Amino acid sequence: MPLDTEHKLLIFAAAAAVRLVLPAVFPTFPDLLTGRVEVSTPVTSFKRLQEGVFLYTHNVSPYDGGVYHQAPLLLPLFSLLPDPSTYPLATNILYTVVDLLSANAIGQIADSGQNVATRLFTSSRKHLTWSSIAIATGYLFNPFTVATCLARSTSALSNLFILTAMAKAAHGASTTFILALAFAAYLSMHPILLFPPLLVLLYDTRATKTQSKPNVWTFAIAHTLGLAVAIGALLSASAFITGSWDFLAATYGVRLLLPDLTPNVGLWWYFFIEMFDSFREFFLGVFWLHAASYVPGLTIRLHKQPLFVACTLTGVFAIFTPYPSIADAALYLSLVPLFRHLFPLMRYSFLASAAILYASVLGPAFYHLWIYAGSGNANFFYAITLVWSLGLSIILGDSMYAALRDELDVERPELQGKEVRRI
Amino acid sequence: MLSSLLFLLLNAVITCVAASTGYHERLFLRPLPQGSLLASFNFVSNETQEAFEQQNFRYFPRSFGQILQHAHARELHLRFSVGRWDAEDWGERPWNGAREGGTGVELWAWVEADNEDEAFARWLTLTNALSGLFCASMNFIDATKTIRPVMAFAPEGPHGNVANLHLLHGTLPHEVVCTENLTPFLKLLPCKGKAGISSLLDGHKLFDASFQTMAIDVRPVCDGAGTDCSVEMEQTVDMVLNVARSKRPQNNPIPRPLPIDQLECDTSKPYNSGDSCYPLKKSTEPSWTLEEVFGRPLKGACPLTEETGDAAHTACIQTEPERTVNANTTGEYTEMKVGSDTIRCYKLPTGSDFDLVLPEQQLTTGLVRPSPPLFAARSINGHGQERGSTQSIIRNPSTTNTVEFVYLESLPWFMKPYLHTLRARLDTTSASPIKETYYRPAIDRKRGTHLELLMTIPPNSTLTLTYDFEKAILRYTEYPPDANRGFDAAPAVIRVLSPNTGDRKGMYIRTTSLLLPLPTPDFSMPYNVIILTSTVMALGFGNIFNLLVRRFVGADEVPVGAGGLKGLVMGKVGRLRALVGM
Repeated sequence: MPLDTEHKLLIFAAAAAVRLVLPAVFPTFPDLLTGRVEVSTPVTSFKRLQEGVFLYTHNVSPYDGGVYHQAPLLLPLFSLLPDPSTYPLATNILYTVVDLLSANAIGQIADSGQNVATRLFTSSRKHLTWSSIAIATGYLFNPFTVATCLARSTSALSNLFILTAMAKAAHGASTTFILALAFAAYLSMHPILLFPPLLVLLYDTRATKTQSKPNVWTFAIAHTLGLAVAIGALLSASAFITGSWDFLAATYGVRLLLPDLTPNVGLWWYFFIEMFDSFREFFLGVFWLHAASYVPGLTIRLHKQPLFVACTLTGVFAIFTPYPSIADAALYLSLVPLFRHLFPLMRYSFLASAAILYASVLGPAFYHLWIYAGSGNANFFYAITLVWSLGLSIILGDSMYAALRDELDVERPELQGKEVRRI
Repeated sequence: MLSSLLFLLLNAVITCVAASTGYHERLFLRPLPQGSLLASFNFVSNETQEAFEQQNFRYFPRSFGQILQHAHARELHLRFSVGRWDAEDWGERPWNGAREGGTGVELWAWVEADNEDEAFARWLTLTNALSGLFCASMNFIDATKTIRPVMAFAPEGPHGNVANLHLLHGTLPHEVVCTENLTPFLKLLPCKGKAGISSLLDGHKLFDASFQTMAIDVRPVCDGAGTDCSVEMEQTVDMVLNVARSKRPQNNPIPRPLPIDQLECDTSKPYNSGDSCYPLKKSTEPSWTLEEVFGRPLKGACPLTEETGDAAHTACIQTEPERTVNANTTGEYTEMKVGSDTIRCYKLPTGSDFDLVLPEQQLTTGLVRPSPPLFAARSINGHGQERGSTQSIIRNPSTTNTVEFVYLESLPWFMKPYLHTLRARLDTTSASPIKETYYRPAIDRKRGTHLELLMTIPPNSTLTLTYDFEKAILRYTEYPPDANRGFDAAPAVIRVLSPNTGDRKGMYIRTTSLLLPLPTPDFSMPYNVIILTSTVMALGFGNIFNLLVRRFVGADEVPVGAGGLKGLVMGKVGRLRALVGM
């Protein structure tokens, strides 16, 4: 497939050029994006990372402070790079490479064909797909992805590891899958929830490949242990680097307990600003339970399409985690085109895309009105985050409806094209 | 040359008070340019160490002494301040800034304790007790407002067991200092504001001043051998009054325009009509008396001060020798001139009022105002409620001396500085002025930022210190009632290390406090927000779980009649019938 390779190279080169030329032509653009609350959250901000690296290189523990909430292994990595304020190119190249690798991984997911045909289920519309290059292009030229890359938010790294974990699971590579998922969970904690569906996916691909079914329990236990060992090793290495276990409270503790209420596109920040003090802990628990509750439900009901479950869960993360940004939405929205065959079954695509576009345009404007112009108040931006979350959850629910309807068409071909009811 | 000589004399006059025992007080008046007047009140009470420990208090106030003993505070400095010392016009600060505080309340103390936790517990005891004593909100000095400075403060008295002493420092920049703080301050004095120079202190005038600072300093004092020790409590009030403003009568305090015929106009300028007036720039010194300026008479000497000697001359004024100063009293007084007649001190009469009368006068000579070692100003740059940057401009006016100083910032936790953006630039050289840095970052809701920098400025240079910070958004219950006014950030404290003053008090400069506007949520919305957010979450949850728990059937397969209210009722009725067996 030399033509395909050529296409791929061309598109990747174009994407790299966009990411390297934009900051060179507009040098203040990356810092502007870094400062946007929609792109950088307290747990992914590049400016906070720089502060952490500065403290780390000056022998002050970055975790003995309220600014740096990111993973410890990023510190030695970024302290090796030259100072981004004077030599931004090195950092830009790193983030460009990260994005290209992510696009490559998303292409691999599309190539695996797990999106339309799994071991237990083959869609009746399996020929209605987009090529892997088209999907990778969609990821690379998604404005949200470009903004994340230019803002040098560390969620680009967690996105890379999530996509790699999916790609490796879709290709049945156990070790790399476990390593990638361990890194993703280590960097931003909530990807650990992707483990059950991806384990099912891995089991399916392994069973298809080897033409024999490995024992379910030994398979699950071995991989769970492997993941635990990998995460344990990463955490121990972090403790070794920082010299103490303080980083646990400053990174995962902050994600769990939300002490920093900086605005973002999610639903948590304003809710917990306005929450009565005595109910704060209760609602923190409820919100986390709510976010986690989708994992078992989806995995069990849609166990025939584990890749779809994993992709839907990234959408859940983009809405219901405490510090979501447009990077999480970019990941989900880039994974949705994998399920091109479901598009004819979706009912509210116009409504959802209109809501997303509306929120993307008015979000920055209303934030400006609140923070800078002073002619609006916090409710303006809050309302936009509600619309944003609503739009994403419509896509989520609608695609789930389509996936279930697709399953029904295979189970009961006689109902194809007919009106159905849920009972 | 003249200025330093004067300065030495002034110091000699003041320190001779501090060196002896018992009770001493002194008022020092110094006219400043532009019709301002600096009044420095100084009250020193001494108690021997043994008497202090046995709670045998004579001049030392009992209430205060017991608090110190209970909290194990060995040295304490408390400041209540309002206003800004205008160093450009007024020159050097009184007491070299060592008796000055940042805007609001500032407190630092050396507490004796075995470990840091115990020291902090005793510090909380101290702040709570002082809060009650001075009617100030010092009980709000909690862990977020407390720092442990490492370079910026040194103990003024000799201390034996330094290892067990913990220095804690807290500020309340938002505190409004007012009359309710002055009354307990005067109660601590032996004469309680009824006699002596403290009888001039009136809340109306003190808190109407352009700059005022009240200080309480407790420190151990030992003689040369270090054996005969006593506890010294020094109370200081420095105020800069605008003479014209203070002379306004109490019953007509609002300035009203004078009738046109009483205005003094500049007649050298051309006028179109008779109703216009160019004000004549006055070159004469304004006239004033003590009673006019302070609003009440000086009620004679405090009987506890000494009868003879330098210390008995408790009211001093520093003016040009040619200025006429008349004492107006019915009692006996004596005048003493020091410092080549530039300082005149008066021994006050006992039991009768005393007043100083200075007529309006054209002066041909002037006193040289000593220049401060550094000029410092600090401000917030940037706009919006999201982030900003702080800029401090520190200037060394000297043409010969390099100044070494410590710069201390204590920031609230919701102002999050980025240390990697800290830049210190000198306009004369490219070398970094920062020699040492001590930084303790803030933790949300647990402690504030503590930054100390040791820096040097070469002669005739300006240092610009900037750093970026981000403003946190708080929970709605953490905002004060006037949330949109903003929050106050404590002044930066600058301690000049060299050239040093030679005494243990040191030389300090404080910048003004900063007003920090934070983003605010809508305070009327808690219920609405809870309802709306919950609705969006319920929509997502309901939509997805509705799909997950139900199964699809064809529209024509749904049992007829099972839907709707009628079906529901019929079903219930059917079940009820089955239950009763009909």
